[in-house]
Amino acid sequence: MTASNEELELKDRLRLIETMIAEGRRTTISYGWTFVLWGVAYYVAILWAGLGHDYIAWPVTMTAAVVITVVIIARKRCTRPATTTSRAIGSIWYAMGTSLFILLMSFGISGRADQHTSIAIVAAMLATANATSSLILKWKLQFACALVWWALTVYACFGGGKMLTIAFLAALFFCQIVFGIYGMIREARARHQGDNHA
Amino acid sequence: MPELPELNPVIHGKLRLALLSLLVGVEEAEFTWLRSKTGSTDGNLGAQLANLEEAGYVSVEKKFVQRKPQTLYRMTEAGRQALTEYVQALKQLLGGAIGA
Repeated sequence: MTASNEELELKDRLRLIETMIAEGRRTTISYGWTFVLWGVAYYVAILWAGLGHDYIAWPVTMTAAVVITVVIIARKRCTRPATTTSRAIGSIWYAMGTSLFILLMSFGISGRADQHTSIAIVAAMLATANATSSLILKWKLQFACALVWWALTVYACFGGGKMLTIAFLAALFFCQIVFGIYGMIREARARHQGDNHA
Repeated sequence: MPELPELNPVIHGKLRLALLSLLVGVEEAEFTWLRSKTGSTDGNLGAQLANLEEAGYVSVEKKFVQRKPQTLYRMTEAGRQALTEYVQALKQLLGGAIGA
């Protein structure tokens, strides 16, 4: 083998390392569906509770959403590898989701849920999780969602009445359902690019 | 003139190098994911992963998830160290080749 061929082979190895490291890191976790699922779950719970079934609406809807989430995550985890970033972000949402689940279940069962307090807490928790994820991922759109939730936290403390419910539903629609669908589109594009690359 | 380093023969193989480079970016990876990323056949992939395991560069965990067998591969600290040294040697060799 000539010196030139040897050099080309070495460069080829270096390129291979760079490509494969990038390929491993590009592995995306699928998260968009969780935003949509939980956005829809909140809508169902709010509408159901509005029909006068307060004490069962939240516990039943939240339990169903948790079961669906766990089943889908277990199925998806079979094939995709975890990266440190994906585990960090997953941990934030897992912790936040557990806290929110316990809070909403307790509020639902006890019937002591005051609209202002519960919306303020839920919005602040969602803002925290969105802001943390967006800072890790350096994703401005998700940080915008955090800002919306923070704004709603403040509004829930000072404003009220029908407008607060409308503001909560609007925040859920944009920051959960629309953002989730956008996330799913991005993931589909990334997967498509990955397939073409492989 | 400084002596040029030798490249680790266990890592130098293209598929083995690709596998270690993939594993360095993830915590663990399943056999099917590694197969899809490398485009390798089951037999070849299994053989190369066995070589890496024998060298102590990857560890293997076999389990059942939803009644389906799953084989997970993780890079060991020795594997990480070996890959780092390989990259350094490669850069040194290329530096020597460019300088020559």
